[in-house]
Amino acid sequence: MGRWLLIRLLWLFVTLFGITFVTFFVLDRAPVDRVELEVEKASRSNSYVDAKHRDESIQRLRIELGLIDPVTREALPVWSRYTTWLQKAMTLQLAGEGEDHDALWRRLGEALPVTMLLGGISLSLALGCGMLIGVWLGRRTGRRRERFWSAVMLTAIGVPEFLFATLLLLTFSVVWVQWFPAGGLRSNGAEQWTFFWQLVDFAWHLALPVLVMSVAPIVMVTRFVRDAVARASAAPFMTSLKALGVAPNVVSRRLLRHGAVPVATLAGGLLPMLVGGSIIVENLFSLDGLGHLAFRAVLEQDQAIVMAIVLLTSLATLLSLLISDLLHRVVDARVRLTD
Amino acid sequence: MSAGEPQSVRGKPKRAGPGLVRRMLPWTCVFLTLLVGLFAPLVANDVPLVAKVDGSYMFPAFADLVGDAPPGPHDLSWKKWWARLPVDGDDWAWMPPRPYGPLETNASMFYDEPSLTHPFGNDDTGRDVLARLVHGANTAVSLGLPAVLLAALIGTLLGAWAALSRGIVDVIVQRLIELFLCFPTLLFLLFTAAFFGSSSLALIIVMVLRFWITFARIVRGEMLSLRERDFVLVAQGLGLSTWRVLTKHLMPQVISSIGVTSAFCMAAAIVAESTLSFLGVGPNAQSSWGTMLRQGSEHASLGAWHLWFFPSVAIISVVVSCHVLADRLRPQVTNSH
Repeated sequence: MGRWLLIRLLWLFVTLFGITFVTFFVLDRAPVDRVELEVEKASRSNSYVDAKHRDESIQRLRIELGLIDPVTREALPVWSRYTTWLQKAMTLQLAGEGEDHDALWRRLGEALPVTMLLGGISLSLALGCGMLIGVWLGRRTGRRRERFWSAVMLTAIGVPEFLFATLLLLTFSVVWVQWFPAGGLRSNGAEQWTFFWQLVDFAWHLALPVLVMSVAPIVMVTRFVRDAVARASAAPFMTSLKALGVAPNVVSRRLLRHGAVPVATLAGGLLPMLVGGSIIVENLFSLDGLGHLAFRAVLEQDQAIVMAIVLLTSLATLLSLLISDLLHRVVDARVRLTD
Repeated sequence: MSAGEPQSVRGKPKRAGPGLVRRMLPWTCVFLTLLVGLFAPLVANDVPLVAKVDGSYMFPAFADLVGDAPPGPHDLSWKKWWARLPVDGDDWAWMPPRPYGPLETNASMFYDEPSLTHPFGNDDTGRDVLARLVHGANTAVSLGLPAVLLAALIGTLLGAWAALSRGIVDVIVQRLIELFLCFPTLLFLLFTAAFFGSSSLALIIVMVLRFWITFARIVRGEMLSLRERDFVLVAQGLGLSTWRVLTKHLMPQVISSIGVTSAFCMAAAIVAESTLSFLGVGPNAQSSWGTMLRQGSEHASLGAWHLWFFPSVAIISVVVSCHVLADRLRPQVTNSH
C-alpha cells in the first residue's frame, strides 16, 4: 500500500510535468509574440519616444522575459525556458516576468470559491442522482420504462452545454418567462436581507448554472451504474439471494454496492468535464469563477495565467484520480493496491 | 441482446414502418451532415455550378469547393449576371439547389420569418439561414472529420501495437493515455484557437491529441483478450506474419468498437467546434453553428425565433444521432441471463 502510493505520487508528478510541458510547448509555438504585444502596449502609451533605441529596448525586453540568452543573444530553446518556468512554479511564482505574483494569487483566490461551489454541487448531484437513477434503471433493463429513460438520457447527453445553457436562459430568464436571474450570484441589495433570504437568493441564482453543469455528469454516472447493476443482478449470487428469501431492500443494498464500484473509478474522471463545463457556464451566467478567468486570460493572450490555470486544474484532476483509486479500494474489497 | 429481441423470436412480426424510420433516422442525419458539409459550396452558393459565359463553360462553384470562386463576368457579381441573363440568349447558368451564399446579405429581408423561398428565414443582415447552416456543417465537418480519422488511425495502431508487443511499448502507451486523460480539453482547445488565430490545423492537432487515447484504450483492451484466442495461435502456427494476423484476423473483430468510438468522437468534435465558435474564438467564425446560435440568442428578444431555433435543431440532431449510433453499436448490458 505504501509502495503503491509512492509510485502513484511519482507518476503524478511525471504526468504533471508532461501536461505542463505540452501546454508550454503549444503556447510557445503560437504565433503570438509577447514582446510585440508589450511594445504595442508601450507605444500606445507613448513610452517609446526614441525610435532609435527601439531595437535595443526590444532586445532588453526579450532578455527580461527570458526569451533570449543575455550573453550570446541567441534564442533560448523551449526546454530551458520550461525549466525556468518550472523553477519559479515550484516557489508558486506563477505570474509572468515583472508582474505581481500576489495579484495573480489574489485573482485566483477570488475565482476559486465560485468554481469550487459550482463544481462541488454538480459533482455531489451527479454522484447522488446518478447512483439512485442508475440502480433503479439497472434493475429494469430491457423494460419499456428503462428504455424510455435511457433514450431520454441519450438525448440529454447529446445537447451540448452551451446550447442547453442558452436555451434555458432564453426560456426562463430572457424571452419567455423571467423566473430566474440571467447572471451573477446575488441580487442587488441582498446584503441587508436576513441570512435565510440571502441563502434562498443564492440558490435561486445558482439553479440554472448548476442544472447546466450537472446534466452531463449525472448521465455519465447513471449509465455506468446502470450497466454495473445490470451485470450484477444477472450474476449467480443474486439468484441465490433470491432463493434464500432475502428481503428486497437488502438485495437492493447489495446491488448498490456493485453500482458504487464504477462510480469510485469515474469520480476522478468527471473533473476535466466539470472544468470544461465551468468555462461555458461561468461565461454565460457571468459568474466570476476560474472558468471566466481562464477565458479572459485566453482572450487577452496572457500565457502566464493560462499556464497557472492549466497547472492548477491538472493538479486537481490528478489528485482526484488518485483519490478515486483509493476509494475504489474502499468500495471494492477485491481490489488490491499493488503496482 | 436487449429484451426486445425474444418477442420477435417468438414469431411476433416486426413492425416495418416506424421501426425503419427509427433505425434509419440517425444514419440519415449523420450522413446528410457529412455529405452536405463536405460539398457545402455545391449545395448552397451564390455562384453557379455550371455557367456558359460568352460561349465558354465555367464551373465557379466547383472552383469554390477547392479554392476561391472566380469573379463574375462583365464586372458583375455572379448573382447579378444571372439575374440579368436574357431568356433567349446563348448564355445560361445552372445554380446550386440553394442559390444563396452564406455571406450574401439582402437589405430587404432583415429578420424575415421562414417562407417558401427561404424555408429557415433570414437573419439580421438578410442572410439566408439555410445557406448559413449548410456552410456551418462544412466548418464542423472539415474540422471534425480529419481529426477523427487521424485519431482513429493513430489510436488503433498504437493500441494494437501496445497490446500485441506488450513490454515497454505497452507501458509507454498506457502512461501516455493517462497523461492525455487528465488534459483540460476545452481549455486547451480554447487557447489553441485563440493563440493560433484562424489556423484549423492547430485545432485538428489538439483534437487528435485528445481523441487518439479513446481509440487506443478500446483497441488495446480488446486486442489483449483477442490475442489469447486459439485462432491467433493457429494463424501464427500456419506461419502468417504478425501484420497479416493483425490486419486479416484481429482488425475485423475490433472494427465495430472503432465505429462506436468514431461516432462519439465525431459528436465531441462537432460540439467542440460549435462551442469555440459560440465563445467567439472558432477557426471559421463567419459560418458556424455556434456563431449562428450566439447571434440568434442575441436577437431572440426581438422575436426572431428562427435565428436560434434552427441552429439548435441542427446541433442537437447531429450530436444526438452520433450518440444513438454509438449506443446501438455498443454491446448491450442487460440483467437477463
